[in-house]
Amino acid sequence: MALDLSGRQYAHVDYDEKERLFEEVKGDLRYDEYLYGCYECGICVAACPSARFYDFSPRKIAQTMAREDVDLFYTLLNDSVWDCSQCFSCDVCPRKNSPGGLITLMREVAVKNGLASAQEALEGYGRVVYKIMATGTQVSPDMLQANAFPDWGPHVKDIAENLEYWRKALPPESMNTTETSWQVDDKTIIELYLIWHMTGVMDMIKEVDEGLFMILQDVMEEKLEDAGYDVSFD
Amino acid sequence: MSDNLEVRGCVLPLSLHYSVGDHTWIRLEDDGTALIGMTDVAQNLAGPLLHAKPKKVGATRKKGKPVATVESSKWVGPVKSPISGEVVAVNEDVKTDPTVINRSPYKQGWIVRMQPSDLAADMDGLLTGQAAVDAYRERIESEDIKACEHVDGFEI
Repeated sequence: MALDLSGRQYAHVDYDEKERLFEEVKGDLRYDEYLYGCYECGICVAACPSARFYDFSPRKIAQTMAREDVDLFYTLLNDSVWDCSQCFSCDVCPRKNSPGGLITLMREVAVKNGLASAQEALEGYGRVVYKIMATGTQVSPDMLQANAFPDWGPHVKDIAENLEYWRKALPPESMNTTETSWQVDDKTIIELYLIWHMTGVMDMIKEVDEGLFMILQDVMEEKLEDAGYDVSFD
Repeated sequence: MSDNLEVRGCVLPLSLHYSVGDHTWIRLEDDGTALIGMTDVAQNLAGPLLHAKPKKVGATRKKGKPVATVESSKWVGPVKSPISGEVVAVNEDVKTDPTVINRSPYKQGWIVRMQPSDLAADMDGLLTGQAAVDAYRERIESEDIKACEHVDGFEI
C-alpha cells in the first residue's frame, strides 16, 4: 500500500502532541550518534531489504529528522517505522547515520506512548513477546500450525500433529521441547524477570497490551516469589 | 424462541451471563458457585488452542484479573474473570486438550469454577438474554469481528 505522506490523516492531532513525541525521540541519549546529517545519496535505500517490498525509505526517516519536519515525523511514526526489519543494512551510510537506529528510538516512543498504530503493528506478535518475556526463547516449535502457516504447504498439519515425535528425532537433549525452543534454566528465567523489572520493560508492555501484561505479571510474580524475591510489577 | 441466538454465526446461549468486553461468560450453579468460560466469539478469534493454563484451585481473583492463560499458534491472552472470588475447581480436560474450548465453549470447555465473593455487585456489570446479544452484536459489528467458524464436533 502506498504511504500517504500528505499528513491529512493526522490533521486532527494537535501539533503540540506531535512535537512532544518528536522531542522525546530527539531527547534520547542515542539520538546524536544516529544522525549526523544527510547527503540524500540514497545508499541506505539501495541497501534496505524492506524498501524492495514496501513503500518504505530509510532516507525519508533520516531526512525528516534532520529537517525537523514534525508533521511528517508523526506520519512516519505511525505508518512507516513498522515496515523496517531492523537489519541495520542502512548503517552503510557514508555520513555514519543509522536510520535503523532512529527507527528503534521512534518505535520505543510509539510503544511507550501507547500509539494505536503501535498496538496494531504488534498485535500479531503477542505470543512471540510472551515467549521471549516468559521463557527467554522467542519462537516455539508449536507455533508451527497449519492455520498459521498455510504457505508452508499441507505437510505442516502432519508436523503439528506429531510435533513431539519430530522434536525427539533431533539428537541434542535440549532440542526436544515443543513449548520453547530449548530447555531454559530456572536461574536464567529469574535473572530475565529481574531485568524486565529493573529496566521498566513491563511498563511498555502495559501500554500496548494490557492483557499480555496481566498474564506476564502473574507468571513472573509467582516465579519470583517462589525464588524468594518480593517484586511487584504494578 | 430458541435458547441460543447467533450473531455472524457466533452462538450465544440466552441463559448465560456475559462480560461482553472480555468475551467471557458465567453460569450460576445451584450450589452458589459459578462456572466461567470463553465465548464462541473468543474461541473463534483465538483459533485452535494449543494451551490453556487455568489458575490453581485456591487462587483468589478480583474481577477483571486472569483466571487462565490461553495460547494458540501466534496468539496468547488472558481469560479475565467476570467476578471476584476463589477458584474452587479447574477443568482438567481443557488443560490436557484445550481444543475442547473450540469444540464446546459453553459446556465441556468451561475453564474454572469459582466461589463468588461479591456476586451481587459483580452481576451489575454483566448482561444476559437479549440485552447481552444486542450488546455483543454492537461490538461485533463496530469492531468488524470475523464470522465464527466451527470445528467438527462443535456443540452448544
